[in-house]
Amino acid sequence: MKFINLLQKELKELINAQMIASLVLIMAILMFVGNITQNAIDDTIEENNNPKINISDRDDTDFTKSLIETLRSTGAEVKEFDTEGDGYADILKNNDIKNLVILPEGLTETIEKNERPQIITVSRMTSAAAMSNISTGNSGAVELIQKSIADTIAESSGITTEELELIENPITLQDNTVVDDKSAEISVNSIVNKVMMQNTILPIIVFLLIMMTSQSLISSISNEKIDKTLETLLSSPVSRTSIITAKMLAAAVVALINAAAFMVGFSKFLKGASADAISGVVSDTMGVDEAIEQLGLSLSVGDYILVGLQLFLTIMICLSVSIMLGALVNDTKSSQTVIMPIIILAMVPYIISMISDINTLPMAIRIIVYAIPFTHTFSGISNLMFGNNTIFICGLIYQIVIFFVCMFFALRLFNSDKILTISLNLGAKSKYNRKKEKTKD
Amino acid sequence: MEKVLEVKGLTKQYTKVLAVDNVSFDIGEGEIFALIGPNGAGKTTTIRMISTLLKSTSGDAVIAGYSINKEPEKVREYITYLPDEAGAYKNMTGTNYLKFMAGLFYTDPNKIIECVNRAKEICGLGERLNDKIGSYSRGMIRKLLLSRAVMTKPKLAILDEPTSGLDVLNAIEIRKMIKKLASEEKMSFLLSSHNMLEIEFVSDRVGIIAKGHLMVTGTGEELKQRYNALNLEEVFERVVIENEIH
Repeated sequence: MKFINLLQKELKELINAQMIASLVLIMAILMFVGNITQNAIDDTIEENNNPKINISDRDDTDFTKSLIETLRSTGAEVKEFDTEGDGYADILKNNDIKNLVILPEGLTETIEKNERPQIITVSRMTSAAAMSNISTGNSGAVELIQKSIADTIAESSGITTEELELIENPITLQDNTVVDDKSAEISVNSIVNKVMMQNTILPIIVFLLIMMTSQSLISSISNEKIDKTLETLLSSPVSRTSIITAKMLAAAVVALINAAAFMVGFSKFLKGASADAISGVVSDTMGVDEAIEQLGLSLSVGDYILVGLQLFLTIMICLSVSIMLGALVNDTKSSQTVIMPIIILAMVPYIISMISDINTLPMAIRIIVYAIPFTHTFSGISNLMFGNNTIFICGLIYQIVIFFVCMFFALRLFNSDKILTISLNLGAKSKYNRKKEKTKD
Repeated sequence: MEKVLEVKGLTKQYTKVLAVDNVSFDIGEGEIFALIGPNGAGKTTTIRMISTLLKSTSGDAVIAGYSINKEPEKVREYITYLPDEAGAYKNMTGTNYLKFMAGLFYTDPNKIIECVNRAKEICGLGERLNDKIGSYSRGMIRKLLLSRAVMTKPKLAILDEPTSGLDVLNAIEIRKMIKKLASEEKMSFLLSSHNMLEIEFVSDRVGIIAKGHLMVTGTGEELKQRYNALNLEEVFERVVIENEIH
């Protein structure tokens, strides 16, 4: 009952209007950006499926007319423009268009002479953003024009369509991917695109959770010290272990709420931003799931439970380290800077896991990186996927050991005099020192 | 008079500093005992050991029959502690703070309500108790904390500099409150203060502490006679000088 009272107080302090508002705002921003990206991709796909081709026929021959008809017959929306000269900026501006394909004068004659003809394309660039410059209008048209010209040349040279097809694509490619002793008939890129989302979301969420959980517990302890409410609390008839357990539990609950919110926000964001979204609509991805299954890369329920356990251990390690760091703080400024060791320890494996495979690093560096307990969580999914079960289990055991060691020292510190007597003044002078100096005056 | 607190040879040695050296005194039921001394004399360390916040290096203190070394959890049921310059949770309302603190002493909801009502009556903050503590003045916070310290009717209320930083009127009000609780409800108090006038007015007995040693104890009148002094300030000065000479 007394513990519930303590827990309620801690939860009320952590889950306040400010925290809820910032969480909602972050989720809204992630979803908003995800929606914008998704819409841009949808537009691109739509344009790909129903290309809008702007064309200017300066040659005006039967061949170019039939070329334009061929473009129309593919379902493309073709608009013709009368243009002259090479003032392309004015041409786009006057016709209020973003792109244009120009069939220059003499095109038919060049083809008839068996020479290589030139096609002119003009595209307006409005920003450096990747999505704003994806325009399939010109490239689609050029592809179709090339094919038509190739057919014409082939026909005049007595080459059949099948022979032309063979010349253009002399090989067929069969992609095979091998993982350990298993193989599947699929390209590596298809697999990477499919698993990218879960491998990207988890490290981001782990990193954010480490930051937020540590900061909330450090603030909770340091605020009690700075406001001198800790002394009142410690002199009341509740055990110190109950006090610290309530603080840890409240911080863990808040971490879970944050994790759920980030999971939803980032899923939406990455769904919009990842290439998976495009491939899911444009190409047939049927078979990728089967290939992942065949390669043994799919995670079972048990695997997800192990990953969850590892995430839980990471949070618990953070909390136990935060107790010790919070105990060192005696002023507000220090409470903000004392989190630095945790940030560095989380940042190193986070960055490495995003850009490289930790298991391929040189042995000495690998040992150093794996000595950071958070590393095992960042590389957890990858290790389980690729069958590095020994590394995963060793990591899990290592995290359990580190947690108990940290917790032992944290409880020892909290149950000793040091919780009230030690301080680390990284920032401004502590309240205690200021008071002492004032009294001396 | 029944003894509520018996301090026996209490000592605290930090790594390099002997903060409190063999301090002994006792406090009877309904008695107000004040520890006075210069900065760094060992007042707060003594108080923190008695409040079970710090562990003693040697010696013991027995409160309501329980040892601070052997049964600190039990001791905490009979004491309350108000630290010097203590704050309260700024995001809580005054009433919620009192409920939270009462909930650390009792699990019975009726007992909790009883404590809160008593604190409300003592602090006299009225409707302001429904406001967040962050909006309170220093005097209001001190009144709230003092009412919190006595709402559970502890055997011993330990108050470190109870009126520090308060204006004259608020300080007088709090002193009167302490005296009333001691005389009418037989609550015992252990105070520490720099303010000799306050100590002379409010305390039944005084202990002068310097450099970790408890030099002398007695009533204000006894000490004034013994040191041929007009007030406690002079007593304090002579005790400290005498200690330096010897």
